[in-house]
Amino acid sequence: MALLSKQERRHFPDWDDSEQCKFHRVAVDLEKCDGCKLCTIVCPSNVLELFVDGNGKKKARVKENHRGCISCNNCYAICESGAIEASHHYDFVGYYRQLGRGEFSKPRIF
Amino acid sequence: MFVEPSARAIRVEDPEEVEKEAGRSSKITVVPEGAEWNAVEQVMLQRRSIRKYKKAQVPAHLIRRMLEMGRYAPSQGNCQPWKFVVIRDSAIIQGIEDFCVGECKKTSSAIDYASMPAGSFKRFVTRIKAKLFNRLQPNMMHPVPVSGITAIAEGRFAVFHHAPTVILLLMDKRGIGVPPIDIGICGTNIVLAAQSLGLGTCWIGFSKFLNQSPEWCVKLGVEEPYEISEAITVGYPVGNPTHLIARETHEIGWFEDGKKQVLY
Ligand SMILES: Cc1cc2nc3c(=O)[nH]c(=O)nc-3n(C[C@H](O)[C@H](O)[C@H](O)COP(=O)(O)O)c2cc1C
Ligand code: SF4
Ligand code: SF4
Repeated sequence: MALLSKQERRHFPDWDDSEQCKFHRVAVDLEKCDGCKLCTIVCPSNVLELFVDGNGKKKARVKENHRGCISCNNCYAICESGAIEASHHYDFVGYYRQLGRGEFSKPRIF
Repeated sequence: MFVEPSARAIRVEDPEEVEKEAGRSSKITVVPEGAEWNAVEQVMLQRRSIRKYKKAQVPAHLIRRMLEMGRYAPSQGNCQPWKFVVIRDSAIIQGIEDFCVGECKKTSSAIDYASMPAGSFKRFVTRIKAKLFNRLQPNMMHPVPVSGITAIAEGRFAVFHHAPTVILLLMDKRGIGVPPIDIGICGTNIVLAAQSLGLGTCWIGFSKFLNQSPEWCVKLGVEEPYEISEAITVGYPVGNPTHLIARETHEIGWFEDGKKQVLY
């Protein structure tokens, strides 16, 4: 018994199809974000940018066209306002489908 | 000449009997349930891959301290299949950066159809080629590193992150069993030591492009039977990337008392 079907093992997802390559969009809490810009400079996938909101304040957001938030939470680690967090992993259809994953969780004490 | 010894060898049945008889038993200590993280666990949890560094150089003695921890890593058959190259010369770091960026540009334009104009002939042909490579080298052709290579090619991402120090981990290809595992463990020691010393690090898999440059291999002393396995950048992190983050849990098969449980 295999976890991936024969068909899945033969299917390599199209890199340009967001249905086949599901990259998570991190959520920025605009109330909390103070526009310090640090998340945008440390994000390894270059998916975050600053913009000016309706009140003329700088805030972070995910770029419209992006390929590849890797759910590393570098943005969360550096954000001193607690405004941003990845809570889902990337996933793919076919050969690269994620297996045996549970929910995101902070370090648990046992 | 071989002489059969007359006295019989003492057979050791139970190692715990041995330590007891010798009066040299070790104590069992159990960290209580729910105890806070100890210093080592804290270091493991706070380590992040750091890709933005301050300009300040890391004092040489701290690099030596880190490599000393690498030296004590376990390895298959104690074969220690590693060799370190430390680069702290900004001109050389820029040189290897430029070379790897060049390789990323070539690779990206050879395979990454997703970055090519929609509907173009080049995109159409490249897609067919990429699908074939994908099948032949599924680990390298995962969508994540491919988009990383294109980001480097387009100048949105760096290879060595402009770090003040780069450590190359060279692997002796003759290592026992599976030498890349030993390199991974050795590097983990180095990276965790760095974290405990207040430094930031990042593993650089894209450093492997350097193996394709005979010039750089000669200059850096990468010769047969060695190859560059990985690199680690080191420096002082920008900002305070210290918050403990969430990560997904993974399935754990747990066999005990004749039962199997699945935990996460
Ligand atoms: C063997 C290895 C190679 C890696 N290569 C790169 C690389 O070339 N460039 C990079 O920016 N990050 C690289 N990384 C870092 C990973 O992206 C990172 O470890 C992962 O996203 C988890 O994030 P964390 O290290 O902050 O916990 C590498 C990691 C490992 C273990
Ligand atoms: S690090 Fe936090 S506060 Fe700073 S810009 Fe990013 S989300 Fe906003
Ligand atoms: S989780 Fe990582 S890749 Fe995704 S937005 Fe945050 S820093 Fe960028």
